[in-house]
Amino acid sequence: MHRTCDGIHRRDMLRAGVLSLGGLSLSGYLKMADAGQVAPGRATRAIFIELPGGPSHLDSFDPKPNAPDDIRGSFKTINTNVPGIQVSEHLPKLARVMDKFVILRGVSHTLAAHRLGQEYVNTGSKPIPALEYPSYGSVLAKEQPGRPEIPTQVAIPRGSQGPGFLGIRYAALETNSTPAFGKPYSVRGISLPSGIGVEEVRRRQTLLEKLDRRFSKLEQNSQLLDGLDRFGQQAYSMITSPDARKAFDISQEPDSFASQFGESGFGQSCLLALRLVESGVRMVSVQLGGWDTHQDNFTKLKTDNLPKLDEGLSGLLTGLDQRGLLESTAVYVTGEFGRTPKINSRSAEGGRDHYPRCMFMLMAGGGVRGGQVIGESDDTASGPRHDAIKPDDVAASFYHNLGIDPSLEFDSNTGRPITLVRDGTVIDQLFS
Amino acid sequence: MKFRFQTPLIGFLVIFLASVTASAAKPDQASRPLSERFAGKQPDANHDEVPHFQKHVIPLLGKLGCNGRACHGSFQGRGGFQLSLFGYDFSADHLALLDEDSGRVDVQDVEESLILSKPTDADMHEGGKRFDRDSWQYRVLEKWISKGAIGPKKTPTKLVKLSVTPAEIRFDSDKQSVSLNAVAHWQDGTIEDVTELCRFSSNDDSIAAIDEDGNLQSGEVGDTHVVVYYDNAVVPIPVIRPTKSLPTGQEPLNVSQSTSNHPIDQLVADKLSKLGIEPSRSCTDSEFIRRVSLDMTGILPTSDAVREFLDDSSPDKREVLIESLLQSPGYAAWWATRLSDWTGNSDEQLNNVLPVRGVATKLWYAWLKKRLDDNVPYDELVEGIVSAESREEGEDYRQFCENMTQACQPGGEDLFAERSGLPLYWSRRNFKKPEERAIGFAYTFLGVRIECAQCHKHPFDRWSKNDFDEFAKLFTPIKANAKGGKAIQEIRNEMIAKITKGNKVEKGNLRRAIYKAAREGEVVPFDELLVNTSAAANNAAKARRIAKKKGRKPGNVKVASGTILGEEEPTTLDKDPRVDLMQWLRSPENPYFAKAIVNRVWSNYFGIGIVDPSDDMNLANPPSNAPLLDYLASEFVANDFDLHWLHRTITTSDTYQRSAAANVTNASDRKNFSRHIPRRLPAEVVYDCVVLATGSDASAEKLRSDLDDMAIADGKAKLRNRQDFALEVFGQSERESNCDCDRSDDPSLLQSIYLRNDVDMYKRLSDKNGWVNQACKTLGVPGPTGNGNAKKQAIQRNLAAAQQQFLKRLDRFKHQSRNAKQRKQIRKGLNKGHQNLVRRMKPHGYEIPDLDDLIKNPEIWKPIDADESSKSTAAIAASLDSLIEEAYLRTLSRFPEPEETEIGIAYIKESKTPAAGLESLLWALVNTKEFIISH
Repeated sequence: MHRTCDGIHRRDMLRAGVLSLGGLSLSGYLKMADAGQVAPGRATRAIFIELPGGPSHLDSFDPKPNAPDDIRGSFKTINTNVPGIQVSEHLPKLARVMDKFVILRGVSHTLAAHRLGQEYVNTGSKPIPALEYPSYGSVLAKEQPGRPEIPTQVAIPRGSQGPGFLGIRYAALETNSTPAFGKPYSVRGISLPSGIGVEEVRRRQTLLEKLDRRFSKLEQNSQLLDGLDRFGQQAYSMITSPDARKAFDISQEPDSFASQFGESGFGQSCLLALRLVESGVRMVSVQLGGWDTHQDNFTKLKTDNLPKLDEGLSGLLTGLDQRGLLESTAVYVTGEFGRTPKINSRSAEGGRDHYPRCMFMLMAGGGVRGGQVIGESDDTASGPRHDAIKPDDVAASFYHNLGIDPSLEFDSNTGRPITLVRDGTVIDQLFS
Repeated sequence: MKFRFQTPLIGFLVIFLASVTASAAKPDQASRPLSERFAGKQPDANHDEVPHFQKHVIPLLGKLGCNGRACHGSFQGRGGFQLSLFGYDFSADHLALLDEDSGRVDVQDVEESLILSKPTDADMHEGGKRFDRDSWQYRVLEKWISKGAIGPKKTPTKLVKLSVTPAEIRFDSDKQSVSLNAVAHWQDGTIEDVTELCRFSSNDDSIAAIDEDGNLQSGEVGDTHVVVYYDNAVVPIPVIRPTKSLPTGQEPLNVSQSTSNHPIDQLVADKLSKLGIEPSRSCTDSEFIRRVSLDMTGILPTSDAVREFLDDSSPDKREVLIESLLQSPGYAAWWATRLSDWTGNSDEQLNNVLPVRGVATKLWYAWLKKRLDDNVPYDELVEGIVSAESREEGEDYRQFCENMTQACQPGGEDLFAERSGLPLYWSRRNFKKPEERAIGFAYTFLGVRIECAQCHKHPFDRWSKNDFDEFAKLFTPIKANAKGGKAIQEIRNEMIAKITKGNKVEKGNLRRAIYKAAREGEVVPFDELLVNTSAAANNAAKARRIAKKKGRKPGNVKVASGTILGEEEPTTLDKDPRVDLMQWLRSPENPYFAKAIVNRVWSNYFGIGIVDPSDDMNLANPPSNAPLLDYLASEFVANDFDLHWLHRTITTSDTYQRSAAANVTNASDRKNFSRHIPRRLPAEVVYDCVVLATGSDASAEKLRSDLDDMAIADGKAKLRNRQDFALEVFGQSERESNCDCDRSDDPSLLQSIYLRNDVDMYKRLSDKNGWVNQACKTLGVPGPTGNGNAKKQAIQRNLAAAQQQFLKRLDRFKHQSRNAKQRKQIRKGLNKGHQNLVRRMKPHGYEIPDLDDLIKNPEIWKPIDADESSKSTAAIAASLDSLIEEAYLRTLSRFPEPEETEIGIAYIKESKTPAAGLESLLWALVNTKEFIISH
């Protein structure tokens, strides 16, 4: 039997459940799912957009038009629909919906390696070697499980953070592919292969039920057997229910709606994310990579990354608003760090290197009041001008927005008590 | 001796008044409890007593909850006052208490001390009211302060023993109660009743609930421990409530009298007798062959192996099977994977340790596998890791680099496996700092989690922060990725110059150049493991010289040192500390080393350790059957750490061979090994089982003989950022966080989705190298639909039609009356048609008899089967029996019940095609619980 580090016994470890399931007993999970517990909070679902590689803050959401040439870079600045807030000229569409989201500037940490930085911003806790923290989606899946016939969390095409100490039960369904504009889309495990119809699946299920008898009489109250039955049923309803397949099929959207997301894979992933949260998925994470611009920073950003982000994200915010989902969907956009203010000379036009001391993050939806800039960087965007915002604070705010107490305590799989976000404080200004 | 019965006894309560040692003091020698000595306003004879900081003040604060995590034990403290979490950092706590700013202790104005005023005033104290002004707790603290608040001695007073009575408890009904009593025996000779200063906890409230004063109340049937904590002592007290209630005064019946003289069976039976549990009967032969094959080798037995085993009537066939599995390559392959888990063989953590990516983890695995194949004694295997040197004896640096370069080439694993040591263990990124090594080393070789003690007193064991720090120091001299001295640097430079052709190459590019060269087999420099003993030696020598100069005796010169966990004498660091460590590990007195491996192996066979979790041996988590663990560990050592002995001893016991079917007495038992507890198979085993069960005989045979592509043989190792989807979903070990829980056997939704509906699964079911296709061939029907097959069928249909047409023409030619000219004409046409047909049919392997022969006898041309798929399922029903049997044997390792065969046949008959029916049947079998869990 596990104990926590301070001698508190796991109350949810029932005697029959000595089966060591790590973190939380299966019975606890099943009970919670039964009770349909959903914590109160403005947002009931979330979309997390990861920008792996580390986007340049100076060339996007924290421009410094008055900084020297070798810092400012070649991009100009434009006004947004919120007076006083300016962004890079390559984000025109987002500029027009500035009132729907918040820019956090002067966010700061110290981990300059991709993996470590990602773990940090993906969990709100500085990574430590003896423990892997769970992703936002896994926490949400555990705390607020959704409908059985719809996956609780989906990662498009995959997520960089796993369920950590919460255990594989709380892993995301990874699509492993990116949807394409106007084309039907299907996902591993959810969609049926060609040649097998729902009828055939039903027939098979009947056969399985007839044959899978040996262990049912063997043991009552076995959490393992109950769990296998339960998950088997859930898988069956997910595979046969048209809801899940429909949710994934972006080709059902009218072109007029789909096209405002842009035709890029990222844009269509945002569209998919919208459809998924609309149909009951609690958490969708989307990745847009390619931000590691050590060389040719400006060409890459202006021809590729920024236009994709601009179209996809503005489409998402607009689309969520049009469908009346923005108030119930917490959106969080972040890379793992910013990039060096000083432009390096490694390539003809220069690049920028890893820079965790100053970065930007975006937040929208749920209780977040859009149209604000929170925090500020100094004249050269080399660091926060005043108090730094920590990734921990943003994580705490994200959880808060979802009605999850960031000081919630979990037992790690070794029985150690872990505070969800130990060092973070909710940023009140986001919600005011 | 004191114990009080608090409620009238309903049943009979047996209390064993056992003392742990003969020298245990009689209770009347013990001082009365503190509460009596400090009771009332009228001080008694002891009124001059000054409470002792370590013995009384800190335990009292602990008991009151002051140093708990939510209160002043928090790392941020509370209300400007911080105590060490769970105590035992006496000097820090004393400083904190006497800190003027905190105001907790005021020797001048005793009553103003906040540790007196706050806990007595709920309004003032966030933690609420803890005691009254006229309580003994108040008086103890007050007295201590008024007498000067004397702090701890430099080294803590040693608590020799905490003797707790009763030492063992048996309940016979619910609502019985008993109170525990604890007496401390200090090294200074004092003996004191400290019950009221102890903390108490129960490992299972539902069997035995305990309150904060040590009063125990019985609950459900079963067994557990209650634990008593005082100072650094942690004392577990076993509590049992047997399944069958016994008549008053009667000793437990030996219900589980074992006919087996196997030591494991006897030791398990001893415990089961106490619990009144009857073990389950023996499992069937088909259960046994599946269970032992999967547990010992991770490989599903072939259907032939199952048939043969079931047919075998020799009485020792189970022993013979165990022996042959132990000798099979699967044993070494699977256990090298398990040892890779425990030793932390992680590609992620080995990134850039060797100049070829993804190789380090393969070398590590091969090194372990070879030793398991050769059945090298476990202590020697561990010595190869713990005391690993980079170079072989007599190998110079250049040769070392040459040999390692070769070992890094594809297929070079065997070269590496021949080397005597595994220095890679020390090179991991998460095993660099001394404290990381202390944690990792204790995890791997001791099965102990000491990480709690890195920051505070271990809550469940005796380890203090100081113990941890001293242990960690042992690892400071070991440098895993050393570049070597000047001479070696020169050789390195030479190699590098050769690679870069003398050009100056920058950091990142240089690394890439070296990696490229290494891949191409060019000799590149390798880092080495070095032990820096000279620093400690030099410092000591220097101190000696100075002492001599100053005319002092050099006797007291301190050489840097560390201390092995639980040992008294430090190990100096002027020599390789790994020698002492290894000697300690393999010594028969070592309390952890043999137990850790024995327990892990046991856990693999039973799904639960004798200590559980299997890597968490601590005082508060005692073994469920201590004599059993002791026996296995000591015999394992006596048998020269022979792993085969261990596996054989476990698997030949009746205990291992029990059925999963429960009886009335053992239905709720999960930890006393009275029956087989079903568990989900490990990730790699599931993966391989699916592949073997769905593959054709030929492809499965190839996998089994070659192993290399099997997941249990590291064929699908988790590489950096890349892990097989299915293995990830089924919880393959991450090997990252020093925890056996890095591997998971939990069920999950994604697992169910995978087995039911993943593309991998459909591919396997309909693969042309799959079993369904093979079965269809034997039936003479088309295999699972695929494009290739459909095309073939279409051609077949066309050709068959052409054949029929031609035969009709022949028939007309033979029977219609025509004149010779006409006949010649027709004959000419037939000739042409025949030639055309030959041309059409030849590429598809159909021979056509000569036209003349055909005219003589058309029947010599065998009809082409127009549409094999049109063959009715009724026609093949006779062969379905044996196919269903085969499907059961290759998935569930048993024959189908007659009813199951009927269900299967009926299903296939109703299916569109036999192939579709067989696919569904195999799909269903793979998706049964029986397939994925042990039985």
